[in-house]
Amino acid sequence: MTSISVQDLHKTYKGALEPSLSGLSFSFPKGAMVGLLGPNGAGKTTTISILCGLVKADGGQARIFDLPQDAANREAIKRITGIVPQQIALFPHLTAVENLTYFGNLYGMKGKPLRSRIDEYLQMFGLEKAGNKEVHRFSGGMKRRTNIIAAILHQPQLLILDEPTAGVDVQSRSMILQFLREYNNQGVSIVYTSHLLEEAQTICREVVIIDEGKVVVQGETAALIARHPECRNLEDVFLHYTGHAVRD
Amino acid sequence: MLRLLATIRKEWLLLLRDRTGLTLLFAMPLVLITVMAMIEDAPFRDYQELKFDILTVDNDHGRLGRYIREGLEYTGQFEVVDSMNGKPVTQQQALDLVNKGDYKICIVIPKGATGAIVSNANRIVNDISKRMGIPATLPVGTKKDSLNVAVYFDPASKKAFKSAIHQALDNFLTQVETDLLLERIKQQLRKKDMPETDTMEIRLKAVGLQEQLTGPSKQIDVISNSVQHNVPAWSIFAMFFIVIPIAGNMIREREDGSLLRMKLIPGSYLAILAGKMLFFVCICVVQFYLMIQVGIHLLPLLGLPKLVLGQSHAAALMVAISIGLTATAYGILVGTIFKTPNQALNFGAISIVILSAIGGIWIPLEIMPPHMQFIGRLSPLSWGLDAINDIYLRNMGVVHIGGNTGKLVICAVVMLCIAGAVEKRRMS
Repeated sequence: MTSISVQDLHKTYKGALEPSLSGLSFSFPKGAMVGLLGPNGAGKTTTISILCGLVKADGGQARIFDLPQDAANREAIKRITGIVPQQIALFPHLTAVENLTYFGNLYGMKGKPLRSRIDEYLQMFGLEKAGNKEVHRFSGGMKRRTNIIAAILHQPQLLILDEPTAGVDVQSRSMILQFLREYNNQGVSIVYTSHLLEEAQTICREVVIIDEGKVVVQGETAALIARHPECRNLEDVFLHYTGHAVRD
Repeated sequence: MLRLLATIRKEWLLLLRDRTGLTLLFAMPLVLITVMAMIEDAPFRDYQELKFDILTVDNDHGRLGRYIREGLEYTGQFEVVDSMNGKPVTQQQALDLVNKGDYKICIVIPKGATGAIVSNANRIVNDISKRMGIPATLPVGTKKDSLNVAVYFDPASKKAFKSAIHQALDNFLTQVETDLLLERIKQQLRKKDMPETDTMEIRLKAVGLQEQLTGPSKQIDVISNSVQHNVPAWSIFAMFFIVIPIAGNMIREREDGSLLRMKLIPGSYLAILAGKMLFFVCICVVQFYLMIQVGIHLLPLLGLPKLVLGQSHAAALMVAISIGLTATAYGILVGTIFKTPNQALNFGAISIVILSAIGGIWIPLEIMPPHMQFIGRLSPLSWGLDAINDIYLRNMGVVHIGGNTGKLVICAVVMLCIAGAVEKRRMS
């Protein structure tokens, strides 16, 4: 069974001169921990938006755990997927507990089971003492960690993270990466996007590098690096395939 | 249901966290209606209710001058000022004072006015007597030109004010002339064949005028005074200002990504929207009743009339909910269409001012030109005000306000549909 499978995805936004996706295809097995990498404007966010059902593809098909992403399956896919957007998608003037309780309620959870799960995750992410603090008073790392908890409250089978460690300190980053490894070890499929390629190399067993709306290379991280003797790390491989030209 | 209740709780917590916003949300409307009811009190009073100082220059020094002075004072509407510093007011002095705006009105009774009125009355009586075969004996002057009592107004006086005062003075002069005429007739008839002791009452008003209620109400007359217009009108205006916090709330949720997260969670977003709407409708209803309390308890302490409520409290609640629903839907529409809080704030605030101005909130729709009345009747604020007036002034009930509340609800649904279409288009 595949956790994600996209076939020949096409998408051009209204008014855009260039397509965002032009025949994107890749797939990952269930339980994989995959890095979806690419320069700015490569089509990562559009791909994630199509996978989440927020944006409709012009052509092609996206499947999550073999369920086609369409109106009929959208709700089922939302139930098994957790999304950590790049933005801190929380109410800044609510406390962490209030935020998580609200999002838990929206997932249909309530009462003691919800409270226990919130407490468990707050502890896991080192936020147990900050639960009753308003989110806007949090540091960047605390916000990122709370942002992740909000996406895993309903215990999804697939977790998609869009630059989850952007702008956080080393300690918070280490905690987040450690969590992702452990979470993946529990059998949860993880798709992770980042511009921090050293980080991606550390935690992703497999990567897909996309550029200009197409897959340029996909494979196991270690094998890709080994395939190019001139490349010392994932960043070299990335530059090898996407070039050195600056993207806007 | 859990989504709806959770959203109401979330909105409540967010409102509680913003203490200043919470205070402004409830305090500013109360200040607004108090100020508006007070400053619009004078224009709303009938001119007959107000008392004016009236400069009187009496060049006649006869009975007319005395009658006019006594008559003006008797009405209770005028305070006659005919001297200053112990000296009689001169015509030039009076005109200067009125021209400067120190006094609003001045009347100048011309020399010989009494003689002219008496002479005219005598002429009529003599004529009648002659036709009845009674010898005409009352003295008649030789001058045939009629004299005028001159009225001068402060140049800044409004046309309506002049017209009302003019009419009052004209009625009064007619009354004086009629009294004198009747007195002469009585005098002439008494001479003919009646004893001195006979009072001979002549009653002119055989048919009078009496205002009656049009509705089935047991309540006594409710006048559309400043409080009766301003409290409901500005309450509706203030309720519509909920557009600003709602639109701000929507845009913030879009900007901080929480809207995105809500959309990523399974289940209908409509339940979340319904929770949000329900919360803000409740806020509007609480605002409405607080403002009504100001009309009942606070404004009378400031010398204004007490707000009189209609008899159907259920109808009033229904109208408050309908207005709150429309205002909330408008807020959601503004919050969906505009991308930044600044855009929403500017459009929201100005559009409400325009809708209120044309909808009869500032001045009653009835005194606007016909084409503005037509446009005004398209404003949801005018539907709300009409419905409130139906309850408070016309004592109508739930059945009678169905038309206006129906229009408000339909308007809310249409705005929500437009917001939905805009959001769908944005997502695609």
